[in-house]
Amino acid sequence: MDDDRVFKALADPTRRLLLDRLFERDGRTLTELESQLEMTRFGVMKHLRVLEDAALVVSRKAGRARLHYLNPVPIRQIHDRWIDKYTEHRVSALAELKTELEAG
Amino acid sequence: MTTMTEINTTQVYQVFIKATPEEIWEAITKPEFTEKYFYGARIEFTPDRRRTFGPDGSSWGEGVVSEFDPPKRLVHEWRSLYDPELAEEEASRVTWEVEPQESGLSKLTVIHDQLEGAPKTAQSVSGAGWMMVLSGLKTLLETGEPLSS
Repeated sequence: MDDDRVFKALADPTRRLLLDRLFERDGRTLTELESQLEMTRFGVMKHLRVLEDAALVVSRKAGRARLHYLNPVPIRQIHDRWIDKYTEHRVSALAELKTELEAG
Repeated sequence: MTTMTEINTTQVYQVFIKATPEEIWEAITKPEFTEKYFYGARIEFTPDRRRTFGPDGSSWGEGVVSEFDPPKRLVHEWRSLYDPELAEEEASRVTWEVEPQESGLSKLTVIHDQLEGAPKTAQSVSGAGWMMVLSGLKTLLETGEPLSS
């Protein structure tokens, strides 16, 4: 999956707001999401499509409704890509300190 | 970000993985793979049962498999027997869907629902819970290595 799509999707305040709304309550219809924004239905649909292309939102049919869910996994992957490197470093620094202390 | 105001009784997670649906199915259903990304748990599947063992070999319980359709769809019961407090809650349901995509990618979707009788489990598996598992599964399949943390 293309990281560019995730960053592009996150680089817009309306789309981040949509993610915040889904974080507060997941599994919402387009109508519910639209009612909280000063925007046309078409505009909200366009933003949701960008979020879905980046897999930050996953929509599923539930009976006659289509519900939208926040998918945090792509953000986790960004975390893993950079933050894990710091964690590894810290772990190895602690291991070295332990070796030094025990040797002394 | 604002705090979560209510428990989500349906949770949906999705990840794109550079692997075939068959490889993903193996990674989900074979204990030698699950122990590398599922909190050290060895998870065994038969077409009607799911059995889980902790890293120390102790049983983390078993549950009913209601759909077993390799390599596309797997549905099973979920009980959080790894934690005494969560273990008392009602069973919920986990669905795995694997769909082939273009250019050697597959889409894996996990739906954890029917969480109405298990609010503490819902809280526990959201946040880092499923994210760690799916992110770890992707890393394992794409690089052959488990995540470092």
